Amino acid sequence: MNQVGAVGLIAALAFAIYGMISGAIAGRLRSPRMLKSAQRAVLGFFAMTTLAVVSLEYLALTNNFHNSYVASHSSLALPLVYKIPVLWAGQEGSLLFWTWLLSIYVGLAVLLNRKKNRQLMPYIIAICMGVGTFFSLLTFSEANPFNQLSLATATGVTPYAPPDGNGMPPSLQYHSMVIHPPMLYLGYVGMAIPFAFAMSALLKRQLGDNWIRVTRRWVMVPWMFLGTGIVLGGHWAYHVLGWGGYWAWDPVENASLLPWLAGTAFLHSVMIQEKRGMLKVWNMVLIILTFFLSIFGTFLTRSGIISSVHAFAQSNIGPWFSVFLAIIAAFSLTVLFLRLDFLKTENRLDAVASRESGFLFNNWILLAAVLAVLWGTIFPIVSKAIQGVTVTVGPPFFNRVMVPIGLLLLFLTGAGPLLAWRKTSFQSIKRNFTLPLIFAAVVGGILLFVGVHRLYTWMSLFLCAFVAASIVGEFYKGARTRMKFSRESFFAAVYNLTMRNTRRYGGYVVHFGIVLIFVGFAGQAFRFETQGLMGPGDLLKAKDYLFRCESIDTGQKANYQFETVALSVTKDGHALTEMHPQKRFFMAEQEALSHVALHSTLAQDLYVVMAGRDPGSGKAIIHVIINPLVQWVWIGGIIVLLGTLLALVPSRMERQMADLHKNREALAEARHVS
Amino acid sequence: MSASRLLKIIVLSLALANVVMAAQNPAELEKDIGNNVYCMCGGCVTSLNTCPMQFCEVKEGMHSIIRADLEQGKTEPQILQDLVNRYGEKVLAAPPPHGFNLTAWLLPGVGLLIGLFLAITVVRRWRRPTAEAVTSAGAPPVDESVLSAVEEEMKKYVD
Repeated sequence: MNQVGAVGLIAALAFAIYGMISGAIAGRLRSPRMLKSAQRAVLGFFAMTTLAVVSLEYLALTNNFHNSYVASHSSLALPLVYKIPVLWAGQEGSLLFWTWLLSIYVGLAVLLNRKKNRQLMPYIIAICMGVGTFFSLLTFSEANPFNQLSLATATGVTPYAPPDGNGMPPSLQYHSMVIHPPMLYLGYVGMAIPFAFAMSALLKRQLGDNWIRVTRRWVMVPWMFLGTGIVLGGHWAYHVLGWGGYWAWDPVENASLLPWLAGTAFLHSVMIQEKRGMLKVWNMVLIILTFFLSIFGTFLTRSGIISSVHAFAQSNIGPWFSVFLAIIAAFSLTVLFLRLDFLKTENRLDAVASRESGFLFNNWILLAAVLAVLWGTIFPIVSKAIQGVTVTVGPPFFNRVMVPIGLLLLFLTGAGPLLAWRKTSFQSIKRNFTLPLIFAAVVGGILLFVGVHRLYTWMSLFLCAFVAASIVGEFYKGARTRMKFSRESFFAAVYNLTMRNTRRYGGYVVHFGIVLIFVGFAGQAFRFETQGLMGPGDLLKAKDYLFRCESIDTGQKANYQFETVALSVTKDGHALTEMHPQKRFFMAEQEALSHVALHSTLAQDLYVVMAGRDPGSGKAIIHVIINPLVQWVWIGGIIVLLGTLLALVPSRMERQMADLHKNREALAEARHVS
Repeated sequence: MSASRLLKIIVLSLALANVVMAAQNPAELEKDIGNNVYCMCGGCVTSLNTCPMQFCEVKEGMHSIIRADLEQGKTEPQILQDLVNRYGEKVLAAPPPHGFNLTAWLLPGVGLLIGLFLAITVVRRWRRPTAEAVTSAGAPPVDESVLSAVEEEMKKYVD
């Protein structure tokens, strides 16, 4: 299977190179035959990368330790469910996985555009296959997952297979880790498609409203995956790392946030181009930036160039990525510069108080966030290069810089939808802002009354109330208007309103999810921690909760041994629950990991970690954290996902527009043929 | 009692309260310091308080330094300086704001201001002649209530 995988990899590289060249020729010569050939190359690329992926999965599932990659990242005792993620547990497999996902995306782009966007397709294929060429080449030459282990003996070199593999890092053996990396990768890789659409539209001078309409959807899908991946990463960190938090501003976490922020800016500013024909150059810049940051994110994740808690992927692929990033920047900016004449603004701004300005300021804040996160992330490298000293840029820096930016963004999330397109009169501002502000003021007053006096926490919750009220108000006003004219019930009106413009109301749902996530963030200000040594019968008090150690037990599973503490928890004298934090020791990997015990409610989480045993007394070291409102972060994440899915559903208006475009394209095609 | 005397008493009381609170809360101070420095074991790459490794000797050593300093009555900056002397500036979880490190703190703010300036410039450049100018050129004035009603309609159907 090693040879089959290696053949698949080299064949994929050949198809990628051919697809890139034939796509470019098809675009240049406007040759339908060449385009067909390029499309077949895409299918070949998909088939061959699939073959390589299946081969590697087969090798992992059958414990084939002749394969160097499998021997390094799997073991006999590794449960079956974690043998599938072996594919993305290490450098070589991850890069193959990246290539494979790209082949799926390009294949889908070709499939979904068989009868539309024909003029754009040749260059879309050429650009995507260019990206595919880079990743296939990198996988084949620098990070080949099909290398075999061999032993040099007196008689020569013979194949070698160790009796067992090194295993997978225990921290990766967790259920959300099975889907977290694929989600992130789907996000990173998917940004190649809108980039290719944008570049193709520039190269073909097809800069009407069609490409932007199509591209928006292609951005939204990877943006959704990226966001889901980020939340799942937080969920994993919270449940596995045992420090009671979900976001540590680690460089690799930041790497995923950067394209998400840039993509968010694009998803907002693209609306100005669609509605008003403005910000055309800016939208191109955002698409380029989003893709650039996606590749940069992959580079940070896989190269180990910056010290990170995700230290599972240190390697020498840095120069490859540096060259590739330079090529992307040079190519895209050159093409953009050459087509500036085709990107002139069609309209002027009617008033400062308008939705357009709101989006512009939203972009300002989002880009400031990108700059701050990017600068903080690369500052250790910059510092090393300039002053020869490596400094650390961790949570205290990011929290100080990003919290005010986040609050500004939260304010605009609520204020933006209250502004009308083109011009908002003072009266309208007064009318639209009054109720949300009154609601926020009431909530703010209650917060002060119950003792929330920390400025940022108070502001965060105040703004959450403001944004939530503005969103509810938008649904309510829209539904009432429908009820007036169509005599629908309130819920039917809300449903029909939403389905009539899924993008707008899906966007509001996304905003509501963001509000809930901010509520969860605000809860961190009230976090409480305590620690104690506990043997059977010992008590530990944490605020209103009393923990009693019932027993300390040991046990063994297929791939780890564990120690566990049985804790009975009472609150105000009433029995609440039993908790069983564990300390696990993974035999193959020779690593220990805490398994957190959680008792979650919407108000707070009881988070208990068994840090180990005290060497002197033999008692368990128990760390208790009371974490308020954390569940709202996960609920908010789910709502963001649902809102994005809703926004992806074609609305009635969009379906009509799509039919219109289809007819126009068919007509143009017919004219072209005749 | 004069105002300046009252001010002195308040300042002294606050300073004393601060000292007393610091003396009463060494655990809080240790936690705070632990959040502001990184564990130097090289394995975890997290702040001292969040290092997940069970028997990390470096972590324990750093905690010992902090506790010993607290027992000697040292302040947070003094303890941080002790840690810097021992491990270098890399131990600090955020770059100290001096020399080139200042750029780490200033650039995001400068970027924010430049972005604001650019956004305002774009808005001003893109603005059409004001409504007053149009009105003076002969266009009929629009009733504010009509304008509001039109905006509401546009918000519902154009978006």
